[in-house]
Amino acid sequence: MQLNKDDALRAYRTMKTIRVFEDRVHVEFETGEVPGFVHLYAGEEAIATGVCLHLDDGDRIASTHRGHGHCIAKGCDVRGMMAEIYGRKPGLCAGKGGSMHIADLTKGMMGANGIVGGAPPLVCGAGLAAKTLGNGRVAVGFVGDGGSNQGTTHESLNLASVWQLPCIFVVENNGYAEATSVKYSTACDDLADRASGFNMPGIVVDGHDFFEVYEVAGEAIDRARAGGGPTLIECKVNRYYGHFEGDAQTYRAPDEVENVRQNRDCIDNFAARAVSAGLVQEDDLASIDRDISDLIEDAVNLAKAAPKPEAEDLLTDVYVSY
Amino acid sequence: MHKTSAVGILANPAAGRDIRRLVAQASVFPLAEKCNMISRLLSALGAGGVDEVYMMPDAGGISRRLLRMLQTPSLQPRPPVTFFDMPVVDGAADTLLAVERMVEAGVGAIVVLGGDGTHRLVAQVCGDTPLTALSTGTNNVFPALREATIAGLATALVATGQVTDDGATCSNKALRVSVNGTRDLALVDICVSTALWTGSKAVWRVDSLSQLFVAFAEADAVGLSSVAGLIRPVSRRDHAGVRLDLAPPGEAAMSVTAPIAPGLVVPVGVAAVHDLLPGERQTVCAPQGVIALDGEREIEFTDGDRVAVWLDDDGPRTIDVERVMARAAHSGLLTSTDQTLSNPLQKGDSTDAAEQG
Amino acid sequence: MGIKTFQQAISEALALEMERDERVIVMGEDIVGGSGADGEMDAWGGPLGVTKGLWGKFGDRVLDTPITESAFIGAAIGAATTGLRPVVELMFIDFMGVCFDQIFNQAAKFRYMFGGKAETPVVIRTMFGAGLRAAAQHSQCLYPLFTHIPGLKVVVPSTPYDAKGLLIEAIRDNDPVIFCEHKLLYTQEGEVPDEAYTIPFGEAAVVREGEDLTIVTLGRMVHRAVEAAEALAGSGIDCEIVDLRTTSPMDEDAILESVENTGRLVVVDEANPRCNIATDISALVAQSAFDALKAPIRMVTAPHSPVPFSDALEDLYIPTAASIEAAARELAEYRS
Repeated sequence: MQLNKDDALRAYRTMKTIRVFEDRVHVEFETGEVPGFVHLYAGEEAIATGVCLHLDDGDRIASTHRGHGHCIAKGCDVRGMMAEIYGRKPGLCAGKGGSMHIADLTKGMMGANGIVGGAPPLVCGAGLAAKTLGNGRVAVGFVGDGGSNQGTTHESLNLASVWQLPCIFVVENNGYAEATSVKYSTACDDLADRASGFNMPGIVVDGHDFFEVYEVAGEAIDRARAGGGPTLIECKVNRYYGHFEGDAQTYRAPDEVENVRQNRDCIDNFAARAVSAGLVQEDDLASIDRDISDLIEDAVNLAKAAPKPEAEDLLTDVYVSY
Repeated sequence: MHKTSAVGILANPAAGRDIRRLVAQASVFPLAEKCNMISRLLSALGAGGVDEVYMMPDAGGISRRLLRMLQTPSLQPRPPVTFFDMPVVDGAADTLLAVERMVEAGVGAIVVLGGDGTHRLVAQVCGDTPLTALSTGTNNVFPALREATIAGLATALVATGQVTDDGATCSNKALRVSVNGTRDLALVDICVSTALWTGSKAVWRVDSLSQLFVAFAEADAVGLSSVAGLIRPVSRRDHAGVRLDLAPPGEAAMSVTAPIAPGLVVPVGVAAVHDLLPGERQTVCAPQGVIALDGEREIEFTDGDRVAVWLDDDGPRTIDVERVMARAAHSGLLTSTDQTLSNPLQKGDSTDAAEQG
Repeated sequence: MGIKTFQQAISEALALEMERDERVIVMGEDIVGGSGADGEMDAWGGPLGVTKGLWGKFGDRVLDTPITESAFIGAAIGAATTGLRPVVELMFIDFMGVCFDQIFNQAAKFRYMFGGKAETPVVIRTMFGAGLRAAAQHSQCLYPLFTHIPGLKVVVPSTPYDAKGLLIEAIRDNDPVIFCEHKLLYTQEGEVPDEAYTIPFGEAAVVREGEDLTIVTLGRMVHRAVEAAEALAGSGIDCEIVDLRTTSPMDEDAILESVENTGRLVVVDEANPRCNIATDISALVAQSAFDALKAPIRMVTAPHSPVPFSDALEDLYIPTAASIEAAARELAEYRS
């Protein structure tokens, strides 16, 4: 599987945009201006990026409550996302969805989802649509280690296999379902092992390693497009922030996150290896960093200045017609 | 009263869930089955006279499952199992530390359950302690797929000193690689590719492969070494190895249809074949690329890096299960006789074994 | 035009819409019946034969599902947002318990949560109602639960004609629709045109005009109300019967207009009595037509108990023509 310079730069831009976006939301949340429940994706960027780089707007993904990264990787407008998180009218969902429900169907992003295990049945549907319409599209469902224990996930793995749907199920195993360790909550050895019970390949990848995610996801997606059926990919990863913003994370070892940040950070690792391999130059990355810094600054300023929805917006968009 | 004999069991909880499951229908080897293997091993070790077993604690669930399993009664007596009191980081460091502890504890042998990667790690630190190499899965060349009970019996016979002659164990070659002075090793093959990055570890595409170094190559092997095995087989006991210069099939003088991974039989172009003698430093031709150790891409290097590969004859010693069991039969090691009853081997036609014993 | 059963009307609606629009697919448990087995395909055509014959005409667009309601109801919803117009069968409405999240947290909310950018044209057909001795987990009238949820449309037809027109409307509608079919109505016969036609949602049918008293009802209870009204007519009590046809949207105007006219209201609902359609309509009328009322509102509903199995108890559980008649007489005779 090849990765040209443009792809490598896109990968870097996507991962870095997610990181800077999430780091900024983390900071802004502490000011009290960001309302509601916010779950940050920082640390897991290689997964959304490595998977979505293989997709275009006609391919679908469905996401989790920790969905900002998937949205950005699938091409959702970053300013629109930030405005949405602030609950503003120009937000991607007109301020009616918020952090947990960002979606843009025109980009093939079927929504972050407030229900743990929400994505898998929906991507079975997107896969069924692709198969019925014969358009060669694929659908990727993201779930966490928590979501992997939901019946919806198990049912969907079975259905996708029975119907040989062009679906990829990506389990982002960040070690914790809220505050409960996967070691406690899960009876199998690796979450990928569950795939064999549904007669599909199950692969474990290092979710900090963009290259590994990219390669494995690429094979699974190619296979699905060619009619080879579904795949389960478990990405073992760490989240840098808490379950939600405001989580004191006392359930984690004191140096746990710091160790990963220092030694296994997906963006640092990608940048070092891509530069060393001559795929990209330091200057390219520095220039992208400046773009992103400006973009996020702009997004936050626009969001803060944007109007909130008005009373007449309360009852619109419940139905197409009623 | 014989002296206490101990055996180490090193089981890697993380083996074998890589891209080969997706691209090559590789086998799935669950922890539960590893634990069943260990349980069968323990029974055989007990039957063979081993008094003590040392194991590595792990975060993957093997030690947890085994402790539960050991609490339940067994038809077959099992030697006591001690899990080392050591930090667990859930990575290669655990294996290295546990094997060092086993060597310190003076075990007579170490049974390794894992793939080529696990065996590579063990080989770095096991010294002269003989290994029983057991494969957990279909992806491996160095360890054998073999019933754990028999491997356990053979291991016990060696570890307890009941079988001592040199034929019971054999020495292995090892391939060493050094990148800017940092060393690693492979037990079967080292492959250099011109790809710029490693993704999933397994090598399963051949288009960018440029050089293949093999310590041994068997015609019936699966994996990259099969390319050499099908044109210039060398046994584990041969003095030398082989080096192949590879090229895309259309551009090379020879094309070998080789099973480079389970379920993956593809043409590989071979431009040249060379002997690989122990100690001879080999130059890596590609200016930059990726180095795979025993079929797993591990090292990325670029044109500034100093890369060298060579063959050594100081690899780990392994227990030859077939020979040990043949010796056990020959010497009646697992046989006892009751003088008050007539010896069945001295009746009728079946006299050979007894006479030879 | 011809006399057809309720079941035929539904089957015809599905076939016509599948013919018209190839994005329409039909899926559910045993709706083909026999998939993967050694005997006939299309052996069942649905547990009651409603979808029989569709597989022969439309092949892979008619899909048997495993018994996995969360996955296949969710899949129908996901497919609806990505280019198909699925009609999915939830065999018994009681099974909503194992897939309700898909319906009320996913389908119902996409459009709003996504700022008006989603369309989810899915129809969930489901069988409801007591009377088949099917006991507590296969007999309920749970349409009030769906009606409660903004974002869902809820249809409860009472005749073959309405069933066909409302189902075609549902399939062409761009919002999620829960289409509730009373299991004792499938053999009901009536005039049904052969061609496709639609009946708009939110338009109640006045199935009997009258001056003295309004009976608002739906589903199978429409027929019991008609029976009661005929008996009452013999006593000179002239009932108007409003068949809601859809509970969301609900034709509030038709209800209020009728009550303004008659001044008396009986609401008949086969559902359990708390927070059901009867309480909803009673509240509406109490709030918006209080001055027109000449008597208290009477609700005739099932009791606050699970549906019993024994016929002796189930017959007591279901509202009857007699219980409707008694409520109506009480109101007709009421003097403040």
